[in-house]
Amino acid sequence: MTSAQVFRGLREVPKYAFLTIVAAVSIGPLYFMAVSATNTSNDVLASRMLPGSSLIQNWQTLLGQQDVYAAMYHSTVNAVATTVLALVVSSIAGYGFEVYHSRNKDRLMWVLMLAMMIPFAATMIPLFRLFANFGLINSVWAVVLPAIATPLLILMFRQSARSFPHEIIEAARMDGLGELSIFFRMFVPTMRPTYAAAAVITFMAAWNNFLWPKVILVNADYQTMPMLISNFTGGYVIDYGALMLAVLIASLPTIVIFFVLQRSFVAGFTGVVK
Amino acid sequence: MTTPAALTELGDTKKSMKRPKGPSPKLSPAARRRSLTGWAFLLPAAALIGIMMFWPMFQALILSFKTGRGTNLAFADPLWFNYTRMLHDEVFIQTIKTTMLYLVIQVPIMLISALVLANILNNPRLRFKGFWRTAIFLPAAISLVSYSLVFRTIFATDGLVNDWLLALHLIDGPVNWLGQPGTARMVIILGLLWRWTGYNMIFYLAGLQNIDPTTIEAAKIDGAGPLRTFFSVTIPQLKPMILLTVIMSINGTLQMFDESFNLTQGGPANTSMTMSHYLYKVSFQNNPNFGYGAALSYVILIMVAILAAIQMKVGDKRD
Amino acid sequence: MKILRAGAAVAATAAFTLGLAACSSGGSGDATGGSSESSGSGGNTLTVWAWDPTFNIYAMQEAEKVYQQDHPDFKLDIQEMTWDDIQTKMTTIAQAQQYDQLPDIFLVQNNAFQKNAINYPDLFAPLTDSGIDFTEFPAGVAAYSTIDGVNYGVPFDSGTAVNAMRTDILSQAGYTIDDFTDVSWDDYITMGKDILDKTGYPLLSGQAGSSDMIMMMLQSAGASLFDDQGNPTIVDNAALEASINVYSEMVKDGIFTEVNSWDEYINSLVNGNVASTINGIWISGSLQSATDQSGDWAVTDLPALSGIDGATHYSANGGSSWAISSNADYALASDFLKSTFAGSTDLYDTILPGAGAVANWLPAGDSTVYSQPVDFFGGQAIYADVLKFAAQVPSNNTGVYYYEARDAVSAAITKIMGGEDMQTALQEAQDTVEFAMS
Repeated sequence: MTSAQVFRGLREVPKYAFLTIVAAVSIGPLYFMAVSATNTSNDVLASRMLPGSSLIQNWQTLLGQQDVYAAMYHSTVNAVATTVLALVVSSIAGYGFEVYHSRNKDRLMWVLMLAMMIPFAATMIPLFRLFANFGLINSVWAVVLPAIATPLLILMFRQSARSFPHEIIEAARMDGLGELSIFFRMFVPTMRPTYAAAAVITFMAAWNNFLWPKVILVNADYQTMPMLISNFTGGYVIDYGALMLAVLIASLPTIVIFFVLQRSFVAGFTGVVK
Repeated sequence: MTTPAALTELGDTKKSMKRPKGPSPKLSPAARRRSLTGWAFLLPAAALIGIMMFWPMFQALILSFKTGRGTNLAFADPLWFNYTRMLHDEVFIQTIKTTMLYLVIQVPIMLISALVLANILNNPRLRFKGFWRTAIFLPAAISLVSYSLVFRTIFATDGLVNDWLLALHLIDGPVNWLGQPGTARMVIILGLLWRWTGYNMIFYLAGLQNIDPTTIEAAKIDGAGPLRTFFSVTIPQLKPMILLTVIMSINGTLQMFDESFNLTQGGPANTSMTMSHYLYKVSFQNNPNFGYGAALSYVILIMVAILAAIQMKVGDKRD
Repeated sequence: MKILRAGAAVAATAAFTLGLAACSSGGSGDATGGSSESSGSGGNTLTVWAWDPTFNIYAMQEAEKVYQQDHPDFKLDIQEMTWDDIQTKMTTIAQAQQYDQLPDIFLVQNNAFQKNAINYPDLFAPLTDSGIDFTEFPAGVAAYSTIDGVNYGVPFDSGTAVNAMRTDILSQAGYTIDDFTDVSWDDYITMGKDILDKTGYPLLSGQAGSSDMIMMMLQSAGASLFDDQGNPTIVDNAALEASINVYSEMVKDGIFTEVNSWDEYINSLVNGNVASTINGIWISGSLQSATDQSGDWAVTDLPALSGIDGATHYSANGGSSWAISSNADYALASDFLKSTFAGSTDLYDTILPGAGAVANWLPAGDSTVYSQPVDFFGGQAIYADVLKFAAQVPSNNTGVYYYEARDAVSAAITKIMGGEDMQTALQEAQDTVEFAMS
């Protein structure tokens, strides 16, 4: 190693120190959460920062009070269904907005944007009445349908469609491919990173969604993980060790999805920015 | 903050309008058919948004002209009664001030930190890039219910933060973080920063990766220092992304509910309560006054729309 | 023009939706997904909403067993959801007029009963014809769920307030539990300071910004935040001012430690940071989780406000009642409640030791279970004592705007503790409540 390299290495120290601090602050609370899942209720309240030996005990307490398997199942079904349908519906719309672009479609986009600017609490009752009229209370549809088409996702796909070369579309048309086939055979495979990014965001939002599922899933048999956690805090006596374990379990799927998709995730946004 | 990614778009409608692809006065049959196909592609999403969002919004608009508790609702006299009522609502005015405070303090700090972090992580020579990226993004993956619980525990009077500050002799006695107006708001701001900085950083990282590295090399050859390069080469190219994150953050902050609801319950003395939290309270926790709640929601909608429009005007100026 | 067209597209979509919604509701008036589940398919299943598996849900499960002795086919579908969720669901269902989504029986916080019953008259079924004898409940407790003389709820958990004290800490300072029995708040504070000096332990802890303590003091004097006509009486309310004075004096003297959250409050008890607590009897469940303190606790009545008319040593905090929904299998639900929570000594004999659920149903108090000594409380028969307290709790006029008033008073207390003049702060609170009522 030459002295120049050492010097450069030294100059890097503040940068790594800074990143270490930021990373520590980011992970700190998560570490506390994970460690608390292995501690007793009293240790959690006393902010014990070392792993304990109560993990199994907490797991048994949790299972004794809550049907974790059912909640994980419902959360998974809801989040996966939402993500898959949202990607299909919103990407085809985003593609439509861009590839068959017109001023009226631009204006429609503007109008659709307004839909995300109103607080959800205001539209909850009319939405509830709507689903009741369709006979869909307690159904997966009631959770999934409002989350499928979001102005956010449509815009995201519209932006990425902009970087999709129009020559490909023209060439495909020459070859006699139908418009839908062009979308599915040409656009979808090319835009995989964008889909990965959109999947992470949508899955996260669907998995963590709380207010609407808790209202529309009137029957508690269909409860999701965030509802389970909320229920756990409802009693007069709360076991914080078991609670933190529930919180940890509820966080794992979103963390895993991010780990799996993060490379494509960053790359996927690159397409969006263009 | 569950909101929009691609507002970049809004900044450059002009660009898209310049392209020759728009409808020309006389359309060939093939082009006509394609235009119809285009509308067909939009239809499922537009219909869903219409049914799931605009229909309830329309109902809420009608509701905002009604008064009464519970199901005894009747049209108000005058119709805009609920809208004038809020002018005398001390609690609502307080929540506007609080929400604006969050907006003015938290959004700039968050976005600037995200920008700085993204710039550091974008350095090709940086080691353990994946680790830093994951660590900083991870808070965004945690559910709001969970993170509120964790933060409440950490900021308890006998919690971790006090333990550490006491050990470091930075404070003399435990601070009642969530029990005083100033510190309670600070904890909410810290919570927002913790949770959303990494999320925004990812957007900037994506934007930075899209910048042609030769433009930066060129600036260096011209003798520009790293700071100068950052401000005169990097920032301008990131502008669509910055605009996007700014508008997302405005929308998210003005509609913020969970932090106020779960972390501080709006206290002490309503000083940390946000507008959306108050709206929820008026509708679901107090005597249900849905007409007034709906009127409040439309005021929030208008505030978001105005601020977003201003951002777009300002952000769009130099293009 | 084009904007118009874009608008028209949206309008068309909306109209399409409207049509769909209208068709659907017109086609089948009661088409719903969940009604068959919630109203009990076989005619012998009842759906119940409640929130605490170790407390009210446990009690319901025991009630199910009691009722099954005579009705072997009977079943309960008990659904756990927090009170907050029950309130949100009730409001949504009532506001959307989808009453068929309601369960048969649900648990309602006593303080919220009036509000829900008056705003949504179609939510609860009146219990007039149920055959339940409401004179067998303390009048003050039954009053929460009585509107215009009609009973809508069967009281479950009374929330009768107790003063639970650590006798080991008291004796370090030379006191016994008897020194704290039938005392005034003035005496209480004097002794509290002495104990703080001698042992370093504050007497009490509680959530900053919560008005629980003040509301208990207020109710102990039979006072409330509303007059009989339902007008707020936050200003010129001698009992309220006296309560706030006592509270702020205790905080200033260090006898009362303010903490941030419910978790911290429980923590202060379990970790033995305070010498006592004043709360609803349900707090005994949390206390008993600190097994190392077994035998160190005792229970007595509350201090009384000095110089206030009607001041007593008895109060309540929390408490809940079972309501039958308008969607219920009324005959079955009312018979079930009548035979269990309003008629079964066996039930109360089971749930008392099992969950510390103290009966409101007065005949249950005659049972020998209530006079059993409790080891955790040094062999004191605390439940018999609590029943004696319960019968003397003054009724509390909650009214429809109870939550608004309580929130406003909480905010006022925070401001007063922060140095604001009491009259100004209370006037602001009164204005806030009057605004909410306007």
